[in-house]
Amino acid sequence: MSETVTSTSERAIPAQPGLLLRLNLATTTIRNARSFREIGPIIPMMKIPLAWKNLTYDPRRLLVSVSGIAFAVVLMFQQRGFQHALFDSTVEIVRELDCDLVLLRPTRFALSVETRFDRNLLDVVASQRGVVSAEPLYVENLGARLRRENQKARPIRVLAFNLDRSLLLDRNGEFAPQLRLLERPATALMDRLSRSDYGFEFGSPSSFPQTGELNGRELQIVGSFTSGRDFAHTGNLIMSEANFANYFAQRGSSPLQQVDLGLVKVKPSDDLEEIQQRLIATIGNDVSVLTKAELIEREIALWDRSTPIGVIFTVGTLMGFVVGVIICYQVLATAIADHLSEFATLKAMGYSDGYFVRLTIQQSVYLAGLGFLPGAILSWLLFQFNASFTALPMAMTFDRLMVVLLATLAMCIISGILALRKLFAADPASLF
Amino acid sequence: MNAESSDQQLSELLATWPADSTPLSVDVDHVNHFYGVGEMRKQVLFDNVLKIRPGEIVIMTGPSGSGKTTLLTLIGTLRSVQEGSLKVLGQELLGISATATTELRKRIGFIFQAHNLFASLTAFQNVRMATELLGIPDEKANPRIEATLKRLGLGARIHYRPKALSGGQKQRVAVARGLIHEPGLILADEPTAALDAESGREVVTIFQELAKEQQCTIVIVTHDNRILDVADRIVSMVDGRIVSNVLIRRNTLLSQFLTQLDLFKVLNTTILSKIADKFDLRKFATGSEIIKQGDAGTEFFVIGAGNVAIEIDGRQVNTLGHGSFFGEVALIRDQPRNATVRALTPVSCFVLEKDDFQSVIQSSSSFEEELRKAIFTRQ
Repeated sequence: MSETVTSTSERAIPAQPGLLLRLNLATTTIRNARSFREIGPIIPMMKIPLAWKNLTYDPRRLLVSVSGIAFAVVLMFQQRGFQHALFDSTVEIVRELDCDLVLLRPTRFALSVETRFDRNLLDVVASQRGVVSAEPLYVENLGARLRRENQKARPIRVLAFNLDRSLLLDRNGEFAPQLRLLERPATALMDRLSRSDYGFEFGSPSSFPQTGELNGRELQIVGSFTSGRDFAHTGNLIMSEANFANYFAQRGSSPLQQVDLGLVKVKPSDDLEEIQQRLIATIGNDVSVLTKAELIEREIALWDRSTPIGVIFTVGTLMGFVVGVIICYQVLATAIADHLSEFATLKAMGYSDGYFVRLTIQQSVYLAGLGFLPGAILSWLLFQFNASFTALPMAMTFDRLMVVLLATLAMCIISGILALRKLFAADPASLF
Repeated sequence: MNAESSDQQLSELLATWPADSTPLSVDVDHVNHFYGVGEMRKQVLFDNVLKIRPGEIVIMTGPSGSGKTTLLTLIGTLRSVQEGSLKVLGQELLGISATATTELRKRIGFIFQAHNLFASLTAFQNVRMATELLGIPDEKANPRIEATLKRLGLGARIHYRPKALSGGQKQRVAVARGLIHEPGLILADEPTAALDAESGREVVTIFQELAKEQQCTIVIVTHDNRILDVADRIVSMVDGRIVSNVLIRRNTLLSQFLTQLDLFKVLNTTILSKIADKFDLRKFATGSEIIKQGDAGTEFFVIGAGNVAIEIDGRQVNTLGHGSFFGEVALIRDQPRNATVRALTPVSCFVLEKDDFQSVIQSSSSFEEELRKAIFTRQ
């Protein structure tokens, strides 16, 4: 024993003047760590990105995690997508109308409800200051049945207006070249997104005209346009006022006297709201005056609240959210469980709970971001597929992207907070 | 043993012998600890008392379940103190707040049996987790981390992840992480268990340097006999009690010093190390009276360094130097001091209490004989 002591002390002592700890530092500065602590915060440092490193260390696990989050993102997008599509589809026709204000009977609580008002009112409106035009739009839902040879007759929505006053925005440039064709008797344009059950072909312009029967009378489909179906309508036709009057004798002796919607354009320079108020004051309670946006909003609100659709898709979206929370929690909790002793070591070293909160939230945000990106791209592709398959307008707008992004963030952060409890349980006393 | 090395040892002994006034690094004062609650409550530590001074290397041994790990976790703030008082680096741990705990932990270095390195971080980054926490700026921390890892034989693997390191290399990274921020206290659990002899030795050499240069206190729980020689103090525990607490290094050095003296040569190693433990070091300034003629004799002195004058009735009769002893006559004969002893230079004396001195005489007849011979010669 005594020999060992001698030999090591002899060896150790001359070795002292300092290889290691003196090597790079003046002894005066290292005497205590407190002096560093004072300097510390002044000098900005690139901290080790532990959250990111831990997350990306195992690429296979990361892939699985990200796929899980992406799956939840897709679920949410799909649910929201269909919900929006269904709502959008019901108002698609309104969006295509080239007008500022819409007149309709207050009892027409949904567009598909057929209550009408007298055409003379439009003349009154047209004479008002600031109003450029007030045109009638005729819509027939229940009373219109289209059939092709050897097919069943199916209900279809028919829209009609004065061909001289185009009431359509014509965003695709489809109507302008075709409207002239509608001047001929017994002609109509058909929505190419109408259900294929009708039996008409929309492959190429050369496939027209095609002959069918509307309410038992021959009708030539002379062209097509693109609008879309919704809950209540499986297809659309557009024709001239004159043809409309011929086909729908049930509307009375002068079928064009009763108007479904009145479309009002105002001078672009004038205040729309002021004109709206003035029109309401002029025509009283018999007919409502709504802006296009108000009508869209009212229509969507109706479907959202008075049908189970809103609930169904909200539940669907929530399911996606919950699935996401579970997946994300699993990922984060496993990540914590696998590194429990490392985290406990950090605790022993003096890392505070706050550090672990930040670490976990950071990981949550990274996961949200990593999962959202592929999820959104995949959803966009699915939207394209759905749109072509169902003819529903599946639109991924910026707002909708943001909503799902926020939901994804919330989803991951909630999981992170749940997983934190595991981290707080890491007991450094168990390390010894 | 050559003269030079024995001088060196003596000077180390005198230099490292702590003054009583030095503040303690670790002060375990009547600590009891219990696990479980209610009927399951079981006491695991019984009235532990342990005082450790800055710069001491303490090795704790004991069978498993003896409570040494519990005591280590208590000292390390990883467990709450239940009964008694425990001060670490001047901070009382009984009833300490969470914030103060976190702050105190930053001044402690932990080396666990398992390396606990983040697989996702390189050796360098794992060590940097410690310097980042303290906010040590990169330009200071980075070179130090590199130097330490190099020193530990990881020079070529500084930027490797743990997966690419052997068990021993990982443990050395963990060691580097535990001491890189130059803590005031290092708590290590079997730090050399996973290491080969060479790197194990390197680790304890670093410990010794830290202890010497930074006055860092190091507490090691180990069963590794290869490193026992670095211990200043060996504490052994059985069934929750500290059964022995020996300043081993001091005693070894002191025994070696004493063995060279004719008086103590006759003692066997066991007795020698037993009495070495009882010695105290006392320092006297030039001119001061060490003992005074006529006083009751209570202590026995061995001169470690310096010279003294023996004065009888105010007249100097003799001088004594390094290795001489005095004060024995009064103890043997139970008489008052027959002379005054005055320091001629700064003097360091090893001092033994009367009772301890007498027990040595009783335990060895040859010691008594040698003592009488010495007294006789002197007269």
